[in-house]
Amino acid sequence: MKLKEFWKRYFEHPYGVAGFVIFAVLLFMAIFAPLISMGKPNEMSGDILSPPSLKYPFGTDHLGRSVYSRIVYGTRVSLSVGFVAAGLSALIGIFIGAFSGYFGGMVDEVMSKIIDSFLMIPVFFLILIIVAIFGSNLFYIMLVIGLTTWPRNARIMRAQTLSLKERAFVKVAKSLGEGDLRILMTHIIPNGMYPVVANSALQMGGAILAEAALSFLGLGDPNITSWGKMINEARTYMAFAWWTIVFPGIFIILAVVAFSFIADGLQYALYPKLKEVEESG
Amino acid sequence: MGNFTRYLIRRITAVLVMIFLVMSLNFFIIHAAPGDPVTIMTGLENPSKEIIETLKKKYGLDKPLVVQYIKYFSNLLKGNLGYSYVYDQPTWHLIRERIFPTLVLTLTGSVVAFILGIYLAIWVSHLRQRFGETIVSTVNYILYATPSFWLALILILIFSSKLKILPTSGMYDLRASYHGFRKFLDLLRHLILPAGTLALIQLPIFYRVTRTSIIQSEKEEYVTTLTAIGVSKEKLFKKYVLKNAILPTVTIFGITLGFSITGAVLVEIVFAWPGMGRLMFDAIFRRDYQLLLGIYFLMAVLISIAMIITDILIAILDPRIRIT
Amino acid sequence: MDEVLVIENLTVVYTKNGKRIKAVDRVDLKVNQGDMIGIVGESGSGKSTLAHAVMGLLPSNGFIAEGKIRLLGYEITRLNDDEMRKIRWKEFSMVFQKSMNALSPVHKIGEQMKEAVIVHEPEIGETEVESRMKKVLDMVNLPHRVLKSYPHELSGGMMQRVMIALALINNPKFVIFDEATTALDVVTQGQILDEIKNLVERLSLTGMVITHDIGVVAEICNKIAVMYAGRIVEEGPKEKILYDPLHPYTKALISSHPELAEGGGRMRGIPGNLPDLSKEIKGCVFAERCPHAEKICFDDRPGFVKISGRKVACFKIKEVEE
Repeated sequence: MKLKEFWKRYFEHPYGVAGFVIFAVLLFMAIFAPLISMGKPNEMSGDILSPPSLKYPFGTDHLGRSVYSRIVYGTRVSLSVGFVAAGLSALIGIFIGAFSGYFGGMVDEVMSKIIDSFLMIPVFFLILIIVAIFGSNLFYIMLVIGLTTWPRNARIMRAQTLSLKERAFVKVAKSLGEGDLRILMTHIIPNGMYPVVANSALQMGGAILAEAALSFLGLGDPNITSWGKMINEARTYMAFAWWTIVFPGIFIILAVVAFSFIADGLQYALYPKLKEVEESG
Repeated sequence: MGNFTRYLIRRITAVLVMIFLVMSLNFFIIHAAPGDPVTIMTGLENPSKEIIETLKKKYGLDKPLVVQYIKYFSNLLKGNLGYSYVYDQPTWHLIRERIFPTLVLTLTGSVVAFILGIYLAIWVSHLRQRFGETIVSTVNYILYATPSFWLALILILIFSSKLKILPTSGMYDLRASYHGFRKFLDLLRHLILPAGTLALIQLPIFYRVTRTSIIQSEKEEYVTTLTAIGVSKEKLFKKYVLKNAILPTVTIFGITLGFSITGAVLVEIVFAWPGMGRLMFDAIFRRDYQLLLGIYFLMAVLISIAMIITDILIAILDPRIRIT
Repeated sequence: MDEVLVIENLTVVYTKNGKRIKAVDRVDLKVNQGDMIGIVGESGSGKSTLAHAVMGLLPSNGFIAEGKIRLLGYEITRLNDDEMRKIRWKEFSMVFQKSMNALSPVHKIGEQMKEAVIVHEPEIGETEVESRMKKVLDMVNLPHRVLKSYPHELSGGMMQRVMIALALINNPKFVIFDEATTALDVVTQGQILDEIKNLVERLSLTGMVITHDIGVVAEICNKIAVMYAGRIVEEGPKEKILYDPLHPYTKALISSHPELAEGGGRMRGIPGNLPDLSKEIKGCVFAERCPHAEKICFDDRPGFVKISGRKVACFKIKEVEE
């Protein structure tokens, strides 16, 4: 499919457009955080737990820090967790899925079984346990999320590979004596990875939620400002300072919703046939 | 061999592979973790000589890894979930009394979400305008993106802190010791917020699956046939479309139980619900890794059982799987 | 001669991606008591749409833009969904194309067949429904245990028999067979075809057979209407059409059939494609592919000419005949 046509279809989808817009705003916040944050995220002022005002758009927390500034900087954390974790997960999934599907046989059999079971286990606990035992810094957290969520991507890629394997251009390449590795890298993976990309958008949202939950449990990186940590710290004071808890939550939701919307838009652009109705003459 | 037997064997194999996988992951985590396995297993900085000796004997810690792996396995298979040196009690004893509260919470939340999701999907199917569906599906996107712990806190903020109509924590009112039916009512009162949180965050899954399969079912050929022979729209929907559409939703119920338990754990922590999640939370901060891994293993087993029950349920509902 | 079905000037339009597609274009057709008329054409010729229009079963994006359908005295085009629902399957019925998915997979066949009876005769007793179902199953040579089976437990051929039985259950006065054998393997196709032929003769059924396979029509029907791009181009008694086709399209269609073609069945394809039905076609719909086409064929729509016992819509009929 041509790329131009793909994006044209993507932007026909209202959710796709909405997702893109929210994402663009969040990305802008992350990149230009120092310019728009109206102060440093850890700067403590004398105004403790003061409600939203012109000076503090989202109010201040129990240490007098601006909730708004902290949220702006938190965007950096959430977006990087989303990108790195989902990217790693996609990378592993694509390679394992493609190899397993392409070579088939016993390896594929065992791989499929492992993938299926992996999809049944509650992965969040696995992440939780690993982070609890190995220690929590942001890099670790991203790594662990990526390492534990690849099976869905692998399953998608495997299905793609199985169908691509039977296509004429792959068979021609094979009969011309191209090596398996070359076929995988130049034909199968570039042509089959799009559904994995759509799924990755969804997984970015998942990774953001997972990081938020870890931080909320006190297992986040202690040296950074993240939305989940803000909610954790605000728990004690929420009864008399609702803004400390409401705003970080809204931003988590916005980020995750944006990625689900984008995933939907990508899905729609990928499979135009799903919407058309066929009729017989 | 009947269809059903073959189906069940396939499902049970998948579940066994999953349990095997969880056991292996646990073993791997203990041995890959920085530090001495004994320290990891006991969670104690300076475990006594006796403890070290017992552990060495039980898990073969001075033997090659393969032997350790086999020992670890045989212990688990015997139902030996390990010993918590932090609490100085067998892990199983600690977990035992936490299973019921977690099950009550998880199942209530899931069942409510299941019923609500199906009803919502049916209601949307009868709407004439697209507008209503857009609203419902947007709300679903938002709920899907909402962190369970945050929703729990917001509900506490509204219903406990502001309106003061529901309790913030626990399973029973500890100051009043109710019995019988009063106790049950007290449980329900404490259950509303945590189970409500769980139900709300799971609602989107059930709504989406049911809605999609209703749309799918309505396009099937049999709808044309049955319409043609004169079956009324209402009967067609209630008797035929719905039964076809609900089967995938039941399947999803089993598959998402893992997800539900995850949600339940976070919700338990917020509401101080005395379940496995709470215990897990404490285990993390007391560095009681034996307990942590024990809970994780047991959760995998619970999920497996739930999945097999769902499979049997599906087989009862769907004649394509049943014995012919 | 009682006229069972009269179609006058019927036009059916689909809307798809903002385009209006004329699937059936000003069609006239009559079916008399005892007639079994075959509607033959390629896919996209509008034959199936015609059948669905008669049954009042057009999909939601299709509608009757013009014309009248009178079936068994009912003005089909004037009835609403509810009124249609009351008479359809009581007075007339249809055998659908894809039988494998034609019934709900999670309900027993008997349960679904029963609906066709009790909807139209709510007072009927349980035992009578049962005996009526068994009677139609006997007619199509199916065992009674089928009633207790689920669709997936039957073969394609058996399901097709079930669908035929379902169509006959209320003793209809008019039946449409819509590609009733297409989805089956060759051997089963032959069996089902014999079955239908038998039933048509024994019950002296009146109705329509929709098919792309002119061989099927040759077996079952006594009349044939050939459709192309939404219009009927030739219509008449079976023998006339099969052995003495006049319209260039009919000729091409018959010569492409391995068993009917003269000269040992040398198959000849027809060069070209179906015209774009979303555009207005001024002249003859077949003109673009017709070897005899002249200017008039592109400019004016040919009317029917009665010639040697059938009706043909062609300007160049004299030249074609020679």
